Amino acid sequence: MAELALLAPEPLIAGGKRPGQVTSEILATTERRASPLWWAGFLVAFGALAAGIASVAYLFSTGVGTWGLNNTVGWAFDITNFVFWIGIGHAGTLISAILYLFRQRWRTSVNRSAEAMTIFAVICAGIFPVIHLGRPWLAYWIFPYPNTRGPLWINFRSPLAWDAFAITTYFLISLTFWYLGMIPDLATLRDHTPSRFRRRLYAFFSLGWDGSFRTWLRYETVYMLLAGLATPLVVSVHTIVSWDFATSVIPGWHTTIFPPYFVAGAIFSGMAMVLTLVIVARKVMRLEDYITPRHIDAMCKFLLLTSGIVGLAYATEFLTAFYSENRYEQFVFLNRALGPYAWGYWIMVVANVLIPQLLWFRRLRRSTAAVFAISILINVGMWFERFIIIVTSLHRDYLPANWTMYRPTLIEVGTLVGSFGLFFTCFLLFCRFLPVISMSEVKGAIQFGRSRPGTPAPEESPLPAEVHP
Amino acid sequence: MASRLTAILLALASAYSLLLLRPKIGSFRLPGNQQGYEPVQPIAYSHRLHAGELQIPCLYCHFSAERSRHAGIPAASICMNCHRFVTAPLGALRAEDALASKEKRAPRLIVSPELQKLYDALALNEKREPDPSRRPRPIAWVRVYRLPDFVYFDHRAHVNAGVACQQCHGPVETMERVRQVSDLSMGWCVNCHRQANQAGINGRQVHASTDCAACHF
Amino acid sequence: MRADEPKRYWKSLAEREGGAAYSERAAAEFDETPFAAGPLGSRRSFLQAAGFSFAGALLAGCRRAPVEKAAPWLEQPEEIIAGRSYYYTSTCGACPAGCGLLVKTRDGRPIKLEGNPDHPLSRGGLCAVGQASILGLYDSLRPKQPLLRGRAVSWQEADREVLKALAEARRSGGAVRYLSGTLTSPSRLRMIRQLLSGLPDGRHVIYDTLPAAAVLDAHERTHGVRALPHYRFDRANVVASFDADFLGTWLSPVEFTAGYSRLRRPFEQSPQMSYHVQFEARLSLTGSKADRRIRIAPEELPWYLAQLCARLEVKAQRSSGARLESLPILDDVAERLWQARGRSLVVCGAEHLDAQLLANYANELLGNYGTTLDLRRPSLQRQARPGDFAELLEEIATGRIAVLFLDGVNPVYDLPDGEQLARRLRKLPLVVSLAERLDESAEAAAVVCPDQHYLECWGDAEPVRGLFGVQQPLIPPLRGRAALESLAIWAGAPKSAADIVRETWEREIFPRCKAKEESFERFWERVLHEGWVEAEIEHPGPAFNPAPAQASLHRVTRPAVAGLTLVAYPKIALLDGRHAYNPWLQELPDPITKATWDNYACLAPATARKLGLTDGDMVRLEAGPERAVELPVLVQPGQHDNVVAVALGYGGHLTRRFANLGPRWLGWRPSVNAGGYVGENIAPLLERDGGTVRWTRSGVRLVPTGKRLALAVTQDHHTLTVPPRLAAADLGRRPIIEETTLEAFQKDPRAGAQGHPPPAEDLWPRDHTFPGHRWMMFVDLTACTGCSACVIACQVENNVPVVGKDEVRRKREMHWIRIDRYYSGPLGDVDVAFQPMMCQHCEHAPCETVCPVLATVHSSEGLNQQVYNRCIGTRYCENNCPYKVRRFNWFDYARDDRLANTVLNPDVTVRSRGVMEKCTFCVQRIQEARLEARRRGEPLRDGEVQTACQQSCPAQAIVFGDANDPASKVSQLLKSGRAYRVLEEINVRPSVTYLRLVRNRREAEEEERHG
Repeated sequence: MAELALLAPEPLIAGGKRPGQVTSEILATTERRASPLWWAGFLVAFGALAAGIASVAYLFSTGVGTWGLNNTVGWAFDITNFVFWIGIGHAGTLISAILYLFRQRWRTSVNRSAEAMTIFAVICAGIFPVIHLGRPWLAYWIFPYPNTRGPLWINFRSPLAWDAFAITTYFLISLTFWYLGMIPDLATLRDHTPSRFRRRLYAFFSLGWDGSFRTWLRYETVYMLLAGLATPLVVSVHTIVSWDFATSVIPGWHTTIFPPYFVAGAIFSGMAMVLTLVIVARKVMRLEDYITPRHIDAMCKFLLLTSGIVGLAYATEFLTAFYSENRYEQFVFLNRALGPYAWGYWIMVVANVLIPQLLWFRRLRRSTAAVFAISILINVGMWFERFIIIVTSLHRDYLPANWTMYRPTLIEVGTLVGSFGLFFTCFLLFCRFLPVISMSEVKGAIQFGRSRPGTPAPEESPLPAEVHP
Repeated sequence: MASRLTAILLALASAYSLLLLRPKIGSFRLPGNQQGYEPVQPIAYSHRLHAGELQIPCLYCHFSAERSRHAGIPAASICMNCHRFVTAPLGALRAEDALASKEKRAPRLIVSPELQKLYDALALNEKREPDPSRRPRPIAWVRVYRLPDFVYFDHRAHVNAGVACQQCHGPVETMERVRQVSDLSMGWCVNCHRQANQAGINGRQVHASTDCAACHF
Repeated sequence: MRADEPKRYWKSLAEREGGAAYSERAAAEFDETPFAAGPLGSRRSFLQAAGFSFAGALLAGCRRAPVEKAAPWLEQPEEIIAGRSYYYTSTCGACPAGCGLLVKTRDGRPIKLEGNPDHPLSRGGLCAVGQASILGLYDSLRPKQPLLRGRAVSWQEADREVLKALAEARRSGGAVRYLSGTLTSPSRLRMIRQLLSGLPDGRHVIYDTLPAAAVLDAHERTHGVRALPHYRFDRANVVASFDADFLGTWLSPVEFTAGYSRLRRPFEQSPQMSYHVQFEARLSLTGSKADRRIRIAPEELPWYLAQLCARLEVKAQRSSGARLESLPILDDVAERLWQARGRSLVVCGAEHLDAQLLANYANELLGNYGTTLDLRRPSLQRQARPGDFAELLEEIATGRIAVLFLDGVNPVYDLPDGEQLARRLRKLPLVVSLAERLDESAEAAAVVCPDQHYLECWGDAEPVRGLFGVQQPLIPPLRGRAALESLAIWAGAPKSAADIVRETWEREIFPRCKAKEESFERFWERVLHEGWVEAEIEHPGPAFNPAPAQASLHRVTRPAVAGLTLVAYPKIALLDGRHAYNPWLQELPDPITKATWDNYACLAPATARKLGLTDGDMVRLEAGPERAVELPVLVQPGQHDNVVAVALGYGGHLTRRFANLGPRWLGWRPSVNAGGYVGENIAPLLERDGGTVRWTRSGVRLVPTGKRLALAVTQDHHTLTVPPRLAAADLGRRPIIEETTLEAFQKDPRAGAQGHPPPAEDLWPRDHTFPGHRWMMFVDLTACTGCSACVIACQVENNVPVVGKDEVRRKREMHWIRIDRYYSGPLGDVDVAFQPMMCQHCEHAPCETVCPVLATVHSSEGLNQQVYNRCIGTRYCENNCPYKVRRFNWFDYARDDRLANTVLNPDVTVRSRGVMEKCTFCVQRIQEARLEARRRGEPLRDGEVQTACQQSCPAQAIVFGDANDPASKVSQLLKSGRAYRVLEEINVRPSVTYLRLVRNRREAEEEERHG
């Protein structure tokens, strides 16, 4: 019996929490005054955001010429950041939808923050297609609407138009999903918060939630259905983004491998970002018990897998180019690896393919410090992946007479910094005012692996959640 | 229960306000739509009188419409073709003549105030001969029909294709003061082109291009 | 609009018609106070108020546009209709070549210059400088009034000053000198004679900044006439050019290009072309077109000519016993020349008497005088007598001059000792400048009586003896006063320029013309209509005297070439700097170096490597004592190793105006250098001997300064072969430019084809059918000389903005047509290929599928349309364009000079910030031609539509037309074996087809060159 028990999985939630304890501990994150650490982070993030706003304001007042682009390289930082952020978004949907459908219990402690991250990432991503326009004030022209021009519709053949739809859909679904998952917790907040203003607010958003079993039943159904709806998005959105490039005629862009390659890359970078965030969050918000090394370990395995896929894609690109006997194709890839932007290419390879291999070692997977470092490197690497795909394909394309170099200006860097600022500002506010961890779901998971000996048994029988009439 | 009442009231109220808004909605025009613009002109020139009553053909004054992209506002010298002699409404002149013959005297010269402006512009003296002491100054008419700078419109093409002036400018011969009749929106242009391609212009087959570069370059 | 009656606004037709009733209703609506008591009332009224404020917001949206006035003529002018373009003949005044013009005027202002197709010299072509010269007319910095010692005064005051001085000179017999460049205008010369004739000591001194004095002197010796032959490249089947850049800057480039390219159009029906060998030190435009190019040091040039003559002597059995050294290349050249006796031509551009004598001798031996060199109708350009000028400088130095007139010359800038001259000029009693603009010399002059631009006053020209062109004013004068009138006043017989010109023509030209008209009036009308007239010439060509040539043949010995030789050269766009004020020309990429907005020290790759220098390294050029100029290096393949070549015409005062050019933003950098000028003036490094400035100077030192200056070049990569380490085996060279040899072409018209044909079948059905016209363009790479006239023509026609040095450096130049230049072959003597590249108007245009808002779509006539007002600026089309010919408006480019804006073409939209633009195949010209044809009720004839680039091309390398018309020229060209399309394999189906580049070479020769 005992030895059988040893085979049982280790618990997801450490410290043998009781439901009530869970509630109080997680609520504490929203109720206790912000730690100096939080304030420090917030100030930094907000400073970055301010820098971003300043550079965008200057961009709008002066023109896209304030970026380092030229007649040959029409996209660089702008679209790189766009693809990067969209990619980040993916992990959220993956964790919340797919892992939910696959009944991965460990997701419960991270899905809330992952979904929040998705929302913020998509916001950051959405900004770039707008500000990169020559005439951003006309951005709405990209949507089809009845007009007096004949009427004149949009070009449904253009991947950019598809993007517009894909991203708005993605944003709306993620938002709904996130909000829906939060309703029970909002109710809990409503019932616990002392401030009457906040109670009003929470009351409004919890849509009059009463934890009755009927409510729970319907809630679970809706959640399940929405998860089903959201799942295709994980694949579709980045596929469409990849078509921005795949449907073009530019060597290095014009390739059929892009959709799977981009989706894998997206999940890769997304997971890395989730790790970065939760590792910080669990420290700052003192949630070590809820986000345990086991969670981190699980996500690291994801990294390992997707890193493998990405690496394979890198290799395949070269193979196709070599196999195609196409002089332009071959040149582009040689130029990536050995040309003027080779440094970027090798950063990408090292950070995305070589370094993640360290995660084969359990010990590294279990050390938050190591994982934190790796996840950050991966994010850097994935940013460079997009940069390399976009810039090296453009800067030396068909006619040598057009070949140029691209150098970013301060304004562009400012915009990139600003997007990070926006992202972290939002995330920190989220940590401060909303439950970082889905209480209701975690409570469902505290039992997990309790049968393992050496884990303290709870005094009282666990209920799903305190029921409020 | 309370919520249901709220819903009903909301619905009623919005329906009611839509009812009140109807006239406004009916007359709502998009930004930049100048339809109905009817500015006051420096000289109260009446198209109703000239084109309507007197039946002067449009192309007599706007002759460049046949040969240029602009229909052109006629030069003052073209007004003088008639108004060298006609200095006031015919009625007034006839009345004066009648009065003069009754009073056995030479008819007095009557100059309508509006035409006086024309003579002033040309710096003519009362005998309507050039007056060296004064400087002629051109008449600044107010443009009624205006297209944005990024649109190329050519009267030549339309006039020679047999499009009637009224097609776009409306019944000018009935207007005292010219009013912008059509809204000049792109849809308005394109639809007319499409119809012309199908139905032709007064029976004749025409090719009215619907390429962007027909107007935008 | 009357002041007392305010403009009437209304919110809706209802209000307009409804009047009182309406206003009541409206009032009633808002009468009910929102948020009245009671739960129901409150909500309803709230919603009402909300609804109305919403509607109000919408109505506030439809704001009336500002009132626009239109002021018609008071007196309707005859045959001028507002909005129609009229073409008047004239003669180009940008340089003395005197090409024929058709000036396009619109509503009383010239807006475009086109070549006059009937003109016997230019044959419809017009060079970049000529095209750009129209901007000079609208130059707001031209002085309006005369200046007297720097302060603006009335004309009377200025004239009083001049007349006083002249009277004084007349009384005291003081010297009066009239210094001008070569003037080909009979009227101008007549007035100058008139002015000087009344004076005891008056002389007209001519001085050319671009001289041909040696040619004149040589012919004085060999033919007894000091004349510049009229070279007939249109008759020369073999051309041997010694450092004469006759396609670029030498004498009459447009005429020469037209003639030259006429004999270089190999087609199936006549697979022949002329042979051209070029001996030169630096890589000139002409050299880049040569079938064979031999790099020689400038010092060696006479000796090479001597060797050539010696060989020709032998062939002609008139050997004077000159020693023959073994030079296989010269044997070959001599043989070819000899085979083409009477149809060959030896030209020499060097200012070196022996060289010119030998050139004459060679031509004489070949019997070219009378056929390819015309001395009966000599060219009247570059008539300078250096001796006179030297004398004048002497007189200025000693101050023995009472009045000095400066007419269209700028010696203070041109001469190595310019500063000194300026000081001396200031000391003279009176210096009168007739400069159009305040250049260095004008600043040194006491009185400046600004001349007018040739488009705003009467004038005439006789570029070749007996060929007269007329200039007529096409706009009421904007600035200055016609020099003719000034001269008339100073000569004491005030007269209008019109009368002066008519007088000249009536007295001097009409009688000589044997015109069919009996009355001068009718003749004059014809002249104004045609723009030019030819007079009879009776005297026969002079006889040849070999003695002096043979003497120099024996005198010349091979010099030892060592050290660095400085070679100053005039640049296509800037020539001697007379047009340095012109931003279009400053931003025009040099056809060879592709650099803009700067001059630089060109070094051969070997030399640069030896000195460890690369593009953009600053070096100090030192020549003679304390003479130094700092310049950036530009490595120039194909240049002689011992030569450092620097362009003339830079660093003049006229370029100070560009200090604030270009869009201003944080990263902005000025277009001028630290000194406030564009580029550096090279003159101080040159030597003046007597009246001529020597363009070559041996023994210059070159000291690296360690500083760097980023040149504004529009092309960074110069070969079609990618760097070896970046290329998989055998796929290094890209088939962008296809070329072949004449021999191969004669065997197989399709020789040299490289690109794959596109797939015959498409995956999806043709998405475009072309029921009406199908516009196509052909560019003949064999004919194209890269002279860049098309670039400026396009810029003028399509309102293309100038962006400034910094933006060009950032690769954001806006030219719709660019000329890609590729090198091939060994670094030492490279082959050059030019490829005009503009929007290819692809049938399967990659740009069209990706634009999300349909701002770029295909027309039913095969045009790829760009709709500026629909464009939101995603730049996706630009990225997806394989040819990268799209141009983006990165900023709002300055259009603040109201006067300069008058040159804008009213038929073409001025693009705003944030939209994409590109070549439109001059759709406005297509429209115009179509509408006119419709108006006349005729079908559009082939050739009736000409794009701007096509019209200006002196080589007629561009053909445009309707491929649906089987009789059209393009339909014929489609059948040519030389036709190929760039990047055909990616199946974008361009509408621009190129005709393969053919070099007159033997295949073996090509083999050993390219291996």
